[in-house]
Amino acid sequence: MNAELMMLISGTGAFLVTLFLVRQRRMRVKYALVWLALSFGGLVVGAYPRLLMEFAGWARLSFPAAALLVALGLIYVFSFSVSLSLSQAHRRTTRLLQEVALLEERVRELEARDSSTPFGK
Amino acid sequence: MRVLVIVPAYNEEQALEPCIEALLREQPDVDVLIVNDGSGDGTERVAAELANACPGVRYVNLPINGGIGTAVQTGIIHAYRNGYDCAIQYDGDGQHEPTSIADLIRAARESQLDLCVGSRFLDDNDESFRSTPLRRVGIRFFSGLISLLCGVRVTDPTSGFRLYGRRALRLLSAYYPDDYPEPEAVFFCAHNGLSVGETSVRMYARVTGITSIRYLRVAYYMVKVTIAILVDRIRTREVSIDER
Repeated sequence: MNAELMMLISGTGAFLVTLFLVRQRRMRVKYALVWLALSFGGLVVGAYPRLLMEFAGWARLSFPAAALLVALGLIYVFSFSVSLSLSQAHRRTTRLLQEVALLEERVRELEARDSSTPFGK
Repeated sequence: MRVLVIVPAYNEEQALEPCIEALLREQPDVDVLIVNDGSGDGTERVAAELANACPGVRYVNLPINGGIGTAVQTGIIHAYRNGYDCAIQYDGDGQHEPTSIADLIRAARESQLDLCVGSRFLDDNDESFRSTPLRRVGIRFFSGLISLLCGVRVTDPTSGFRLYGRRALRLLSAYYPDDYPEPEAVFFCAHNGLSVGETSVRMYARVTGITSIRYLRVAYYMVKVTIAILVDRIRTREVSIDER
């Protein structure tokens, strides 16, 4: 099996898995878009390997080095976006946590006040 | 003057009751809010018993452990929304001396401070617990860094015994640092135009439990807090703090 065929198979596989997860609503479309684009890119490079060779020539890199550079660049971009999303999710979770705790305290206080009033009035 | 004492508590089942009893014995007029930070022991039960037994004591339960910053900010939000004039952060492990609360209030009032930090290092004759020599080096480093970057001199920026006035409550309700937040909170307040000062307080070595900052975490603590303060320095200031 050569590199192009591997890329074709993995690109198709990644594309289908992403579509399946979106269809099952286990992945949001917002996040699926980048993975769909990436797997589509893998498919294209698998079908037309000359694209990557031309990029390697333009960047004055050998073919494996160019493939590695593209892969590392993508890994960096995706890891960075995950860190951003995690930070945002952490901020939101923290505020929700605090609001839940404060509301629970308020409910407890109101219930205690209510039960200490005759006939709950 | 309405004062709320915020007591963040994480796995303080043993220390919490004597801590609150000593606090109320010395400061019967303050309200107390225990913030149970998702403890895995009986802290929630002890907090509920104290709230039932003592009229001025209330408690909130964070359903999962959010860390000291989240716990303290929960108390700050509560104090701000309920119109308290000031809030005092007071550890639930019995390290803080309750009579020092009056000193914090007096110092904040006399010097018109928005944030008044309780310091172990202002009074040389005091026999306060002053941490280990290595930690004192770290404390001096943060003190120097804050002084260098914003001109405010606080000798004990890691102290968790401090008073927040209304303006600080307002600012910190919107943003409070997490992960070892004390030095960054001092810098954040000063950087955003609040008046920050300190007064001498007495502290004790913890009786039960263990400190959360050990071994490799010390290195992480130093690096993380230093970077956080440096990044705060290049941040734009928050919207104007006009409430006094």
